[in-house]
Amino acid sequence: MFVSKGKVWKFGDNISTDHIKPGFTRGTTIKEQAQYCMRAIRPEFAQQVKPGDVIVGGRNFGCGSSRPAAQNFMALGIGCAVAESFSRLFFRSSINLGFPLLYCSGVSGAFDEGDVLEADFESGVVRNLTSGKVLQAEPLLDVPMRILRAGGVVEILRKEYQKSGTHA
Amino acid sequence: MKPLTLFEKIWNRHCVLTEEGESLLYIDRALVAEGASHAFVMLEERGDPVFRPDQVFAFADHYVPTTSRAKGVEGIVVPEIRNMVINLERRARKNGLPLFGLDDPRQGIQHIVPPEQGLTQPGLVIVGCDSHTSTHGAFGCFAFGVGASEMAHIMATQTIWQRKPRTLRIAVEGQLGFAVSAKDIILTVIGTIGAAGGTGHVIEYAGSAIRGMSMDARMTVCNMSIEAGAGAGMVACDDTTLAYLEGRPHAPRGAAWKRAVDSWKTMKSDAGVRFNSEVSINAAAIAPMVTWGTNPEHVLPITGKVPDPGAVADEKKRAEILASLDYMDLKPGTTLADIGVDHVFIGSCTNSRIEDLRAAAQVARLGRAKVPAWIVPGSQVVKRQGEDEGLDRIFEEAGFEWRNSGCSLCTAINGDLLQPGQRCASTSNRSYRGRQGPGVRTHLMSPAMAAAAAITGRLTDVRELLQRS
Repeated sequence: MFVSKGKVWKFGDNISTDHIKPGFTRGTTIKEQAQYCMRAIRPEFAQQVKPGDVIVGGRNFGCGSSRPAAQNFMALGIGCAVAESFSRLFFRSSINLGFPLLYCSGVSGAFDEGDVLEADFESGVVRNLTSGKVLQAEPLLDVPMRILRAGGVVEILRKEYQKSGTHA
Repeated sequence: MKPLTLFEKIWNRHCVLTEEGESLLYIDRALVAEGASHAFVMLEERGDPVFRPDQVFAFADHYVPTTSRAKGVEGIVVPEIRNMVINLERRARKNGLPLFGLDDPRQGIQHIVPPEQGLTQPGLVIVGCDSHTSTHGAFGCFAFGVGASEMAHIMATQTIWQRKPRTLRIAVEGQLGFAVSAKDIILTVIGTIGAAGGTGHVIEYAGSAIRGMSMDARMTVCNMSIEAGAGAGMVACDDTTLAYLEGRPHAPRGAAWKRAVDSWKTMKSDAGVRFNSEVSINAAAIAPMVTWGTNPEHVLPITGKVPDPGAVADEKKRAEILASLDYMDLKPGTTLADIGVDHVFIGSCTNSRIEDLRAAAQVARLGRAKVPAWIVPGSQVVKRQGEDEGLDRIFEEAGFEWRNSGCSLCTAINGDLLQPGQRCASTSNRSYRGRQGPGVRTHLMSPAMAAAAAITGRLTDVRELLQRS
């Protein structure tokens, strides 16, 4: 079982990595950077979000630059992101950092801000525990699950390649 | 044999193994800049060397000053910014990576320098710790951005796990109109399919308008594939590609060149191959474009007006436009050509190649800049070529500032920054809130359009200026 459960913060389409991790915060610590997470559109977000809360996004969530934006979510203790669709770069980068996410068609319409979401990453079942609605997301494949379980792609390097001797 | 797309040909020959829909891809070239420090730290913590140092290239671009270079790295005043450059150069030297550092006569943006040096070649898989790595796809290679953790994996193994994207063919057919450029094409593509339109896809640009384009112009188109939601954009290799590459410092020579050309000529989609999606765009209908909102899909021809959210039926879309206009401080119905600007930026990996600067200079010579206007060449090579052609004098006589090469006001993290509330006509690629500094309002456009905005002090249809001259 790989499950995340928490209170929903809802965002729209095309949320960029500039929203999640603004460029001008570069050079400060991740903890400081996280204080500016989503500030341009939700000034209260970083201060009010609680560890375990989750993100529901629209289409093309995480579009924009290659910066490791999910670090800010992780620093704030956010459990996962479930969106209609993601930018490919953000999706891979987040999985590889160890931050779980799911593609889930219809998720925007099925959740209101503050609802409680439960996502099972292996089965792809996403439940709205407030309304009782159940959605089927694209489950994560074996490789991304292994990377998440290991705590990120760098961790899997150690655990798998070095053990098997394929690493130079 | 089953016909294949260009993308599939490259994917297949780089696929090391596939497990349940995920493939381990071999990487030919990896590009790192100052921001890849996380990746180096991850390697260092593990005590790992870079596995194939001759295939990882390091560039000082995001944090370099675009003012004087006389004092080198010591001339960077802010310690945090200086350290970013110092650390990149130190790590590149320590790991034996080819380095294009601050003092290198070839220094420039990681998406400008490799093509210019002949490192970007057809058929390769190229990754960069930067989303605009898609630029390189103009050469018929598969090029995409990765995050820092992925780059650590690549530097340790020269491979990365990927899920195979779907394919989207965008055919731009016909003749482009007067003073319409590659930037106008890609802004039209984004306006047509939307900022999420290419999500999960790799785009192949085709059609007579693309075939007729120079490599500089194809790079502008592929560069902004990421703003259309796609991870990568590509153009098939043809005679234009080969003519560009021949004789470049890292291009093969002699017999190796002939062998390479034989292989590169196959880097195109087979006749009759099917793409997952197809879009067709009429080149003749494209006008010079400008963005009006906080996302590159908020784009219209310069002849248009700021949209009225009241006329939008979809509630979500209406709210998005309202919020966008609020940030941009624009009123519905305002003629785009009446919007004044405070600053002009001509540069970035989208539009800082020699042809971009020539197009801007052609407009700059028609008047004098009414607002601060910066020209930031993409590389020192572009800069020297511009000076050899006398472009620097044209710009300076017109009151534009001729600066040094780097990312500058596109990412606004090297110390080049605008003030809150300022409005910038910019040739860069993103109009997100705060991209050019907190509270700054960005309008994206082509180099010629940005130069026109500089000499009138407002968004301007460059065709009117050029026709009058």
